[in-house]
Amino acid sequence: MRGRSRGILLVVWLLALAGLGWMVSQRLKISTDLRSFMPAPTTPDQRLLMEQVGDGPGSRLLLLSISGAPDPQLATLSQGLVAALKHDKRYSQVINGNFDLGALDTSLLPYRYLLSPTLDTQPLDQAYLSDQLQQRLDDLSSPAASLLKGLLPRDPTLETLKLAELWAPAKSPEVREGVWFSPQDEALLLVQTVAAGFDPGAQQQAIDGIRQAFHALPGSAGAKLELSGPGYFSVVIGAQTRHQADWIGRVSTIGFVALLLLAYRSFSSLLLSALPIASAGLAGIAALTVAFPDVHGLTLAFGFTLLGVAQEYPIRVLSHRRAGEDAVQSVRALWPLLLTAIASACIAYLAFYASGVNGLKQLAVFTIVGLLVAGFSTRYLLPHLLPRRVRDVADMRWLMRARHVVDRLPRPRWIPVLVAAAIVLMLAIAPGPFWQNNLAALTPLPQDMLLHDARLREALGAPDVRYLLILQAPTEQGVLALSETLQPKVDALVAKHAVDALDLPSRYLPTVALQLARQKKLPDQATLRHALDEALQGMPFRADLFQPFLDDVAVARQLPPLTPARYAQSPLGQRLAATLVQRDGHWLGLGTVSGVHDVTALRALGENTNGTVRLLDLKAASESLVVDYRTRILQALLAAAVLLVLTISFALRSVRRAWHVLAPMTLATFLVLAVERMAGIEISLFHLVALILAGGLGLHYALFFERDTGDPAEQRRTLHATIVCVLSALLVFGMLAWATIPVLRAIGLTVSLGVAFHFCLSILMAPHTHVAED
Amino acid sequence: MLSLTLPLWASASASEPAAPSSAHTLIAALGHPAPAHTAFAEARFMQVLDRPLVVSGELSWLGGDKLQRRVDKPQAETATIADGEVTQERVGKSPRHFSLKRAPQLQVLLDSFVALLSGDAGRLQQAFDVRQTGDIDGAWTLMLTPLDARVAKTIASITVEGNTKESRCMFMQEADGDLTIDLLGVLASRMPAAPTREGLQALCRDTH
Repeated sequence: MRGRSRGILLVVWLLALAGLGWMVSQRLKISTDLRSFMPAPTTPDQRLLMEQVGDGPGSRLLLLSISGAPDPQLATLSQGLVAALKHDKRYSQVINGNFDLGALDTSLLPYRYLLSPTLDTQPLDQAYLSDQLQQRLDDLSSPAASLLKGLLPRDPTLETLKLAELWAPAKSPEVREGVWFSPQDEALLLVQTVAAGFDPGAQQQAIDGIRQAFHALPGSAGAKLELSGPGYFSVVIGAQTRHQADWIGRVSTIGFVALLLLAYRSFSSLLLSALPIASAGLAGIAALTVAFPDVHGLTLAFGFTLLGVAQEYPIRVLSHRRAGEDAVQSVRALWPLLLTAIASACIAYLAFYASGVNGLKQLAVFTIVGLLVAGFSTRYLLPHLLPRRVRDVADMRWLMRARHVVDRLPRPRWIPVLVAAAIVLMLAIAPGPFWQNNLAALTPLPQDMLLHDARLREALGAPDVRYLLILQAPTEQGVLALSETLQPKVDALVAKHAVDALDLPSRYLPTVALQLARQKKLPDQATLRHALDEALQGMPFRADLFQPFLDDVAVARQLPPLTPARYAQSPLGQRLAATLVQRDGHWLGLGTVSGVHDVTALRALGENTNGTVRLLDLKAASESLVVDYRTRILQALLAAAVLLVLTISFALRSVRRAWHVLAPMTLATFLVLAVERMAGIEISLFHLVALILAGGLGLHYALFFERDTGDPAEQRRTLHATIVCVLSALLVFGMLAWATIPVLRAIGLTVSLGVAFHFCLSILMAPHTHVAED
Repeated sequence: MLSLTLPLWASASASEPAAPSSAHTLIAALGHPAPAHTAFAEARFMQVLDRPLVVSGELSWLGGDKLQRRVDKPQAETATIADGEVTQERVGKSPRHFSLKRAPQLQVLLDSFVALLSGDAGRLQQAFDVRQTGDIDGAWTLMLTPLDARVAKTIASITVEGNTKESRCMFMQEADGDLTIDLLGVLASRMPAAPTREGLQALCRDTH
């Protein structure tokens, strides 16, 4: 191609890239919801688990601790923070212990007669009132007098205190200086955000708001504010992943550029060979913006990593250039093999699509589109741009020596048998469980953050996160009724110390039926006034003192029963709303459990209830989720493997040659698995993903080593290309292996090991050149 | 007599706020080794009531921050303050617990009583603004105003009156106007059946 048309092609290509870039910038919406990288739930329990993990009130809770100053100062800071955040729209609840959790909203106070169990057993008659008033008189002469002096005129029977006792959490932190303190002398706060827990963007805003409010407080300079909770974690994960990916990306890019310059000694080749990759990335993102409403940030991060395979295509072309030969010709000779490699990689990545996990599906679309674009642009566009004159790498002295060494390597037929035996042995004696089923292990969270969270949760008396008692009924009221009938059995369990506490929805709100029954028992104004006057005979109380009480009872007689919807405006109502969930035309009540000592007894609550009451083990549900997920990936991989064998056999038109390609690849894959298992690593889904990537790279090595041209120079070029590919892969993934984020590390380590094993085994198991010639 | 002493008081507290050293001397002189017990009779004048509530029993400082208030009449009841928690026990009922933080009245009682009974002037001055009239040789008055703004919202002031080494009366003035008067020691037996504020004040000052 002449210089001018070359220039035009380059400009058109660049313009096309700019167009794609513009389209992407207009359409790309990055999502950060980490759940798209979790397996899709299939059973009702799993779905409940995912909801609780994402939007449930628990996931919107931020746990705050303030430390590093004397108690009074910490308490002042805690109070100041609550005052600053209270009316902020980003937070639905801010509490620090300086409140009566049991306190009813003033507007709901008359409801106390419908909510408190008193009327179930005790009418508001003269006998009861005189007994109560006598007790109040005793109270007034006791040290507790100032506690109830204000309450007395409105609530002489202390229903509000009975409700407070009923609603008091089983365990709450120590209150010092009027606010919560942990045993480690930190002031503790709970903040519930309006935003969902796994929406790191909105969580970031909420967290920034808290930090700003804190730093604006006088005296906050010396004190330390620490956060925890799912929302905070999602922000930290996002920031950490971005930070590490940037850092690793920069270092490996520099290394990569240096490597290619060293290998090809040509700037223009280097710059031009970046075009297919750039096209691949942009086309991949563009495809995502068309196929999905939003693109996950992790998809892009992992996607560009996986696109590393595509970097091989231009490298192969560059290494296989011959002196004086047109680049188009070199590519034409390579193309059948390159096409096989592209097709195989695409098949392997299809397995991600079959996993059913949204994030992995996106990853599959991105990488497959990217690989195809990179491959075809390498074949049909790049060669027309490459400089005509190149140095033939086949003439390099070190390469000749290297090829000589490789050719003389012994390639005994027993090598595959030996390696296979070693793999079986290592897998057999490897320590620990084979699979990592813990969903938490997939969440890239540092251990110390989890420990800090566990400590705060324990101090704040947050319920056990493992078990939930599920109550199911056709209606909301049905759930509450079920909860009411269950309460005596639950009380018995708590008395037997099978559990420390079990918090049922009806604890916060009785059924409408029960409220109406209580309402019926309230005396009318005249009757109550008469009873009260009689009871007051001979008592020192001021005559008109109890008018507010009479008024409240009169109001309570007319009230519509309290429903969860009406209740929802108050903090307690929100707590109730968190435990009532509508699902598929029925309602679920969630009973939170703390301090489980006897799971069997707890599970027995569900006996003979036809499944309307059951104990949900969130850990078991999450593990079953992971097992399902893995089974599906493994099935998809099996299908992909069969397809791969067929594709390679068809492309090479020989089962024997296919064996030479597939055997080293398969052995190397299992060898990585065996070595990681021997190192005590439990295999997670991310290891599987990384094994697939390494397999794709290994396939290239085997394909090219197997290719027998009978031309020693061409074989030297093959070796050159493969060495450059191996070194660049080791560079990029070796860097990833240094990451502190478990997922990145799992991928980095697995791919690095894989690349090394694939390289060695494809050399050792390649058909011997001389043998082939015989 | 009241008319005579009141102006005197007022002028005394206004004109000569006690020097810290003399308050130290007085309070130190009042100290007893733990456990210290004293009989008390208490009258509460409250807005919610037409007539005052009267109880009597024994106050004990058990050492440290442990204080016990035992009521014998009209109904047996014991309140114990220990480790920031109040335990209230009444015959035939299960004990009630609440945090000291929720009962500023008790916090004040604890601070003032323990300090007085232990003779710890420093502690007293940590919790209160202390004003003194008279001294250990004769009749004296300690007027304590809580320094903690939150406590002051409930308890306006405490006045302790005494003669030589003996505390005779304690007046707890609440911010809402309610008043509690405790007659201490030998004076406890002289609580009238129908006490009035003025009558009790006179009784306190009547050292004969």
